[in-house]
Amino acid sequence: MADEENILAARGLEKSYGSGPARVHVLRGLDLTVRRGEFLAVMGPSGCGKSTLLHILGLVTPPDAGTLELCGRVVPRGGGELQRMRQRNVGTVFQRFNLLGVLTAEHNVAISLRVRGLAGTDGRVRRLFEEMGVEHVMRRKPGQMSIGEQQRVAVVRALAHEPDLLLADEPTGNLDSDNAERLLALFAELHHSRRQTIVMITHSAEAASVARRVVHMRDGKLIDA
Amino acid sequence: MDYLPLANILHHKLRSVLSALGIGIGVCMFITLAGLSRGSLGEIADRWESVDADLIVFPRGWGENASDKSGSALPDRFAERIAAAHGRIVRRVIPVFTWQFKLAGQDQTAVGVDSDQWGYLTSGRKLSSGRLADPQGRFGRWLNEKLLTAGTQGDQPLELTEQDLSDPNHDGLELVIDSRLARAGGYRLGQVVEAANHHWTIVGIAPAGVMARVFMPRPTAQYLFGNGDVTKSTLMFVKLADGVDVGPAARAIAATTGQEVVPLTRYRGMLLEKFGIMFVYVDAVNVIAMVIAFLFIMITLYTMVLQRTREIAILKSCGASDFFLLRQVLAESLLLTGAGTAAGVALSFLAGWIIQAARPLLTVTITGHWIAVAAWVALAGAVAAAGYPAWRATRVDVVEALTLE
Repeated sequence: MADEENILAARGLEKSYGSGPARVHVLRGLDLTVRRGEFLAVMGPSGCGKSTLLHILGLVTPPDAGTLELCGRVVPRGGGELQRMRQRNVGTVFQRFNLLGVLTAEHNVAISLRVRGLAGTDGRVRRLFEEMGVEHVMRRKPGQMSIGEQQRVAVVRALAHEPDLLLADEPTGNLDSDNAERLLALFAELHHSRRQTIVMITHSAEAASVARRVVHMRDGKLIDA
Repeated sequence: MDYLPLANILHHKLRSVLSALGIGIGVCMFITLAGLSRGSLGEIADRWESVDADLIVFPRGWGENASDKSGSALPDRFAERIAAAHGRIVRRVIPVFTWQFKLAGQDQTAVGVDSDQWGYLTSGRKLSSGRLADPQGRFGRWLNEKLLTAGTQGDQPLELTEQDLSDPNHDGLELVIDSRLARAGGYRLGQVVEAANHHWTIVGIAPAGVMARVFMPRPTAQYLFGNGDVTKSTLMFVKLADGVDVGPAARAIAATTGQEVVPLTRYRGMLLEKFGIMFVYVDAVNVIAMVIAFLFIMITLYTMVLQRTREIAILKSCGASDFFLLRQVLAESLLLTGAGTAAGVALSFLAGWIIQAARPLLTVTITGHWIAVAAWVALAGAVAAAGYPAWRATRVDVVEALTLE
């Protein structure tokens, strides 16, 4: 039975890549719990398994072993239910923004909503653009925006479907210090005003400092959970 | 516009134009070759069907197909026999002598017909200009004299040598040609042309669409191309009285004459039987052209999928289903194919016009049927070409694609 206060509960997650002698164990029995409304930063050195953890929490790859519960439901390993959870419960901000280069900012958001089977949210999406301070680039393509604007549009896209969990993978990794500061302030504001649950993967202590809780990973495990 | 396939197409304009052009050329080839092969045969059949007759009589020895026969074959006495035996159901018999000779750079079917029956071969259409060949012209008179020599009166033929007949200034051999042949060969009234080792004066221009492109007096054709035998024609058209059933009439005339008698409407089928093999070659070329065009589209889409693994991974990370991705690739293929098909149809009309302007004797008939066939082939090709790239899109590994970014 899942704990209703926990939006995310991972138990004994294991993940490895490759086979035979080349097999690499990336996650080794990782346990993690995130409460609703929490802002968690996961820190760790390169290769410790942070990104793999994010992919598992983002439901794009299943763990080899262990269980994952999201919003009180056990995440299945495949099928329509997994797809629906991926569409509705999770939003992800990537290090390199990953906007579709052929679409304008508003259409990048619109297609992510269409993929999720959502429509008729134009007014709310516009408010979200305004909230993120990027309403002036709505009709621009990524190539016509600054790096900071692209990352904030990526945040709009990740939040447009009102996910329970916002994942951020090194969100400041490609930003200069000014834009990084603005983005972190934005995350802090989201957490404060919306009680948005955020899990941020970062190697930056400065970025982690805006989170309410920081955990560290090493060798595929949390060392201070 | 958040319609990703269209955005992708508009973003990669040159690639999209080239892809659509590949399809367009295939579709154009498909429609134009079909229109050219079937159009040229169809135009011949249309001309024959314009004859004011119901039946064709031709020698039984030819089998069931008279579409490529010419020369002396059927004794003229059959015309009288048919008229005498079937006077109640036959309105008229029109013997014609056909022969192939070269004008305007290609073989033409020249038809020898009696001047008083010429109007039946044209359904009453009048000459555009000039006059009919004069059966009482110099050659006609010479021939009559020659025929009389062979008769009981023993008159001597007019002294006229073969060399005289070749004299450009003589008034012996006359032709009527149709307006398309005139345009193709740049011929005009009064011009003397050489064909079949003789010089002919063009005395009349008939409107396009009459039974043949070249007409001459029947005795002239019989004498020159029938080894001097002026008693035989090639075939006979029979016009039945109003209300007479064609089938029973054909059987009755066949029984009387012992010759093959078929409805005039059978001629189109004869042509198709005789030259239908050409369609197999044309269709084979068309299939190859379309396959190449769609391989081109498939390679384009496949390359697109390989280039956009990151974008596909993003969509998948947002929860895009396999069906959604398949729809994107298929839609892009259909959009390119749709544009290519529209361009191909437009190009085929242009190609048809160019072909007919350059070679007026060729007919390119672009029909709705063949446009529809091309569109269906293109649609099927678009779906088939999208299949493998779409499958590859669904197999993109999100983690791998996003990790390698």
